[in-house]
Amino acid sequence: MSAVSTRRVFLKQYLGISTFLSLAPAVPALLGRAAFGAFPREDRDTILVVLQLAGGNDGLNTVVPYADDEYGRARYTLRLTANEVLKIDSLLGWHPRMKGFARLFAEGHLAVIQGVGYPNPHQGHFESMRIWQTARLEEASSCRTGWLGQAIDSVYRPEHAQVPALFVGQIERPFALSARRAIVPWIDSLRQCVMSSMPGADAASHRNWLTELAAAERSARLNPMLQFVQQSTLAARATSRRIEAAAETLGPTRTPDYPPFHLARMLRTIAQLIRADLPIRIYFTELGGPEPGGFDNHAGQRDNHAALLEQLSESVTAFADDLRRANLLDRVLLMTFSEFGRTVRENGRRGTDHGSAAPMFLVGGRVRGGLIGAHPNLTELENGGQRFHTDFRRVYATVLERWLGFDSQLALGARFDPLDVLTT
Amino acid sequence: MPEITKTPKTSHPSADSTRALAVDPVWAWAPYEPDPRQPWDMRRAGHLYRRAGFGAAWNELQRALADGPQRTIDRLLHPGHQAEAFNRAHDEYELSAIDPAAASSDTLRQWWLRRMLETPHPLLEKMTLFWHQHFATAGARVHNARLMQRYLQLLRSHGLGRLVPLMVAVTRDPATLLSLDVGANYRSRPSENLARALLEHFTVGPGAFTGQDVREAARAFTGWSVLTRQLRYLEHQHDSGVKTILGQQGNWSGEDAVRIALQHPATAPRLVRKLYRWFISEADEPGEALIAPLAQLLAKDGDIGKLVETMLRSNLFFSPIAYRRRIKSPVEFALSIVRPFETLVPTAPLGHALNRLGQDLCEPPTLDGWEGGQTWITSATLLERHNLAVALLGGGEPFGDKLDPSALAEKHGHHSAESAGRFFVDLFLQGDLEDAVREKLLKGAGTRPASPPSAARYRQMAQAIVTLPEFQLA
Repeated sequence: MSAVSTRRVFLKQYLGISTFLSLAPAVPALLGRAAFGAFPREDRDTILVVLQLAGGNDGLNTVVPYADDEYGRARYTLRLTANEVLKIDSLLGWHPRMKGFARLFAEGHLAVIQGVGYPNPHQGHFESMRIWQTARLEEASSCRTGWLGQAIDSVYRPEHAQVPALFVGQIERPFALSARRAIVPWIDSLRQCVMSSMPGADAASHRNWLTELAAAERSARLNPMLQFVQQSTLAARATSRRIEAAAETLGPTRTPDYPPFHLARMLRTIAQLIRADLPIRIYFTELGGPEPGGFDNHAGQRDNHAALLEQLSESVTAFADDLRRANLLDRVLLMTFSEFGRTVRENGRRGTDHGSAAPMFLVGGRVRGGLIGAHPNLTELENGGQRFHTDFRRVYATVLERWLGFDSQLALGARFDPLDVLTT
Repeated sequence: MPEITKTPKTSHPSADSTRALAVDPVWAWAPYEPDPRQPWDMRRAGHLYRRAGFGAAWNELQRALADGPQRTIDRLLHPGHQAEAFNRAHDEYELSAIDPAAASSDTLRQWWLRRMLETPHPLLEKMTLFWHQHFATAGARVHNARLMQRYLQLLRSHGLGRLVPLMVAVTRDPATLLSLDVGANYRSRPSENLARALLEHFTVGPGAFTGQDVREAARAFTGWSVLTRQLRYLEHQHDSGVKTILGQQGNWSGEDAVRIALQHPATAPRLVRKLYRWFISEADEPGEALIAPLAQLLAKDGDIGKLVETMLRSNLFFSPIAYRRRIKSPVEFALSIVRPFETLVPTAPLGHALNRLGQDLCEPPTLDGWEGGQTWITSATLLERHNLAVALLGGGEPFGDKLDPSALAEKHGHHSAESAGRFFVDLFLQGDLEDAVREKLLKGAGTRPASPPSAARYRQMAQAIVTLPEFQLA
């Protein structure tokens, strides 16, 4: 790539053309000094959105084997009948409150990976969640970094002054994002992504003043460290401005397109950030809150679970529709996970206990929609839960390698064969 | 007479310098004496306070100018009885503030930040922070604030002392053993975690030991466990047989294992390099010849204080090779804003803010600690620095108006916005700002300034200064 065109890519990437024009006298000399070399554009710009469902989602009442008699026997109060579910095929159907997912599935943008788990399943919330967050089994408790943190560390270059990941949510940043070197940020609203202004100042002129101060040319005898911080400061200011601009074009916080759920708010924020064309490859958000997690319904599961599934389905569908309207759905892959499924049999309190295998959902424009893998039967159980047939680390390997283009072996500590669930 | 391969063009401390590859070690570590080309001025005084502490208030800078470098360093190294009294009193406050059953390190963090701000011995806190990230014991893995507090006290009491007692104490520190997940450490099932941490992280470093060394060192540490939060030594669980650790054979105990590791030729240079990065420069890797004399000094009697003193007093420390060649960690960034105001701010919200900047005190991410340097600087963390500066200097929640730039300027005799602006550049940056940028800064945000200038204008000026690229450099 020629120096001129690489500089243009850099400008688009970090400053936006309009910003460049307003800074025109100050910027070119700064950029001339090896600036582009510090911030190369990635080959790929695919985005992964990881959605944590905390508490142990009852896959059996999410993708329901309504036609299986054993289901009816085991779920004597919680069963969903053939008339209630949104049918997928002659065996399975969606929980009735998941209209959005049913539609996405019919459109081919949703894949259900069935029977996902790991050998010798642990049935404690903390321990099993830690296994999913670290992608380690025996070493999970001593591991100090998460699977995503390790992946981020493998691509992070300090001289680029960018960490390509962000947690969007109100709980503590999940362990999956713990990294050794990279500092992975977290926000719960777009407001935290923009530079606040000082009281008594006209926001726009104040902002321009600070940008001019940062951009002003320092003399030739520059300290390379100063140069690095200067470039990074300009990039940070430009990013803040881009996010503000992206947010401004979208109107009030609750558009009719997103349902009034917490998860919908988080996903809407992520959609706004994706629109702002930032170098973030991994977003992480969550439903269910802090440990043990809202999906953990040991008693009176029916209504609680239904509400969560509706929030999940409608929020994710609104997100997908939003991205589709912006022609961005092909660049995004959303993946859900939970620390385990539930027991096949009810527990006598109209609830279920901790199980093991459960489905994972993938949503995106390049997903090979449909059911992946057989529905685990309801008779060969492991500690009361369904048996897994697909190791979750294969799903992780798929999203790391095939979607993001990262080294999955580094992040997962071993080689896992990806699944054929993407059309790219 | 300074002898470096490329003589700086001027005496300006931040003039572009050579990578420190061929620096004469004799000149480098000889004590700095001011001369016309390397004068003792406000820049060097500010530099000393940034490195040996967390920044300086105006009076401290003035006093340092009057006292000269070596007397100022004397005071930083040996502040006297007031420091001991202060730390003892602070230990009491901490003890009474921390609930014995508390798992979270929040309160401890709050008190530590307060100590960093108020201490008459900032160098000791800087060293405590250095060892904290070297040993990397993490509160979230300990689940007990009292144990974390005792761990920090341990680091503080040995931090400028001697290596052997420091290291032995750490290997017997309950918080450290819990953080390393040592568990029951029995003869029949030695835990390798402490041994591996000792060799890989605390002393010789990766590549200088084998798996066998870890296993043998693990045997030496058997018998030491943390049970019900207390350190216990069970004689019958200790493997007293012969072990070979790093080539040394004997009936080694845990303490012996520590001594052997410290004596290994890889350890002293490794620790010196870490301290070089901490006190001198993150911008380049020092050559072996430059490290060697300090490594010898450290290996001789393990005197950390003497090593630090040598570094601080040296020509190299006051040369362009060191000047503005570190990036302020979040703690340094925040405290170098607060200290010049000569007042306290609420440290609970400060601790949370520093977490957003990437440094959750008491919670280093891994045994590698916080890498520092360029890793402190990303789009997200620069945004957080900006927003923290607004929070600290804007006069609103959560810090209130503890930091009042116009009052500070008035206090030091500056009654106009321009005069105050120049004062702030001297106070916060010791003048390290190109003239053109300074003029743009003093002109303000462009809109017609109110006359007399509002307090808000002074606040905006201060916030602009601490978000400058220059201010991010230590």
